[in-house]
Amino acid sequence: MWSSDRFGSPSCWIALLVVLLALGAHPAHAEEVLIVTARTGTVETLSRDEAEQLYLGRRATLATRISMLLDLPPGRTRDHFYRTLTDKNPSQIRAYWSRMVFTGRALPPKEAADAGDARRLLLENPSAIGYLPGRYADDPELRILLRLE
Amino acid sequence: MKNRLAAGLTAFAAALVLHAGPAAADIESVTFSGFGTLGVVRSDAADLQFVRVGTEAPGSGRLNFGSDSVLGVQGNFGFGNGTEAVVQVLARHTPKHDYIPRAALAFISFAPSPEFTLRAGRLRVPAFMLSDSLDVNYAHSWVRPPVEVYALNPFADLDGIDLLYRTRIADVDLELHPYFGRSRVDIAHYGHASLSRLRGLNIGLSKGPLTLHLGYSRARLDLRWGDPEFDRLQHALGAFPQGRLMLAEMQGNGASASFTSAGFHWDDNRWQLIGEYAVRRTSAFVNSASGWHLTIGRHVGATTPYLRFARNRQSSPIVSRNLSMGLPEIDAFNASRNNGQRSIGAGLRWDLHPNAAMKVELARSRIENDGWGAFYPRGDILSTRVSGRTVNTLSLSIDVVF
Repeated sequence: MWSSDRFGSPSCWIALLVVLLALGAHPAHAEEVLIVTARTGTVETLSRDEAEQLYLGRRATLATRISMLLDLPPGRTRDHFYRTLTDKNPSQIRAYWSRMVFTGRALPPKEAADAGDARRLLLENPSAIGYLPGRYADDPELRILLRLE
Repeated sequence: MKNRLAAGLTAFAAALVLHAGPAAADIESVTFSGFGTLGVVRSDAADLQFVRVGTEAPGSGRLNFGSDSVLGVQGNFGFGNGTEAVVQVLARHTPKHDYIPRAALAFISFAPSPEFTLRAGRLRVPAFMLSDSLDVNYAHSWVRPPVEVYALNPFADLDGIDLLYRTRIADVDLELHPYFGRSRVDIAHYGHASLSRLRGLNIGLSKGPLTLHLGYSRARLDLRWGDPEFDRLQHALGAFPQGRLMLAEMQGNGASASFTSAGFHWDDNRWQLIGEYAVRRTSAFVNSASGWHLTIGRHVGATTPYLRFARNRQSSPIVSRNLSMGLPEIDAFNASRNNGQRSIGAGLRWDLHPNAAMKVELARSRIENDGWGAFYPRGDILSTRVSGRTVNTLSLSIDVVF
């Protein structure tokens, strides 16, 4: 049984738990995420609908063929990207993708090591699409297809 | 025979992969991934054990690791131009009481356009809303999708073809999923059943946080029970004409079966609401029954506590009352193959790691007076009363994806 004098009052612990859980659920950061491709790439336009379908595995490619769809490792930019584009939180996205993959419907985007690696892959693969944090907005070698805030 | 087909398809896929060396079609990409669950269920009734589906082989221990534990490994081999081969090998406790892995997926898919994907080989039977991901517990908030609905169709492997047509109309994603083929399943301990000329259509609609599912399928059903109790019953009934009529209702070839389901899934980052209604209609060998489940969950940080309600209800028993003449042995046979029960469960999913979730569920099930629900006697079958009882179960599991 719970011993109040030894561990403090239960309500203190419950309050602490609530605070910890609330901290776990980050508020969305008002930070821009860019969906980009190489400046010299084959993909010239991308609608928000198409981006959402691609990143949810509901379509595999566009009218212009895409050779690679890039993801960033788990972290702030990725979480913000999926929240903004698909309105799903990180654990929902993972559960969703596990269903897509293991029913044989789709493969998740390829995960780059970091933003720099994603940029490198985009430049090496002219029909690849990826997303990067807002600080890449002025990169002369990238074409911005969509801005998500 | 179908195992041979699956083995053949697996070998074909493997051959494609291996031969795509310098000469043949080049593999553009290879991706390996997997999923697993280590789960345990304990019931508070010392003489009863939880069984997830009626075909399952009951264990003997008080702690049941066999119902939920599963391991799957998958390889995706892309050949470019929208052609792909997928092989998934899956191990879980089988009705034959072993863990011998089988091919759960072994298909070649071809996508001639972004909207169409045609697949042929070993696929999943997508009978109900979550049937094709029934083994992938990580994809769900529950320890397992509610048995009151999912025990209505134990067939998992579809050997055949299907088509996925996906498009977006305004802001609604539509998925049409027709399929055709056959399926086979073992029944504890040495029985088996098959669905042939299985054809069905699923319609999925997604808009923002809401997904709707509608599904219908029908097939020819052949079935042989395979347990010592049934063998004894068969021997006794075979001795007189009325008994042989009863036997013809219990097992044989050429029954018809249909499966209908409608469900919804709502998840808006705060609330999760899931519900489904499913019906199984058969002309013989298994009972006609319906099931529903309703779940409300709340995302709180990395946890999702939930409350779920479910019911499975028989609409007609395997051997009708007119035919059974009230024989207690026939009533017992009918009851042992009736999953009728209602249950309430309270559980929690905790996403403790980006690739792992831990779950716990406490459930209270009231077994129907003429059924066995999701339970099976641990000891002597004839002297253990199952019907009409209320059983609490505690389930614990860890799901991983990699």
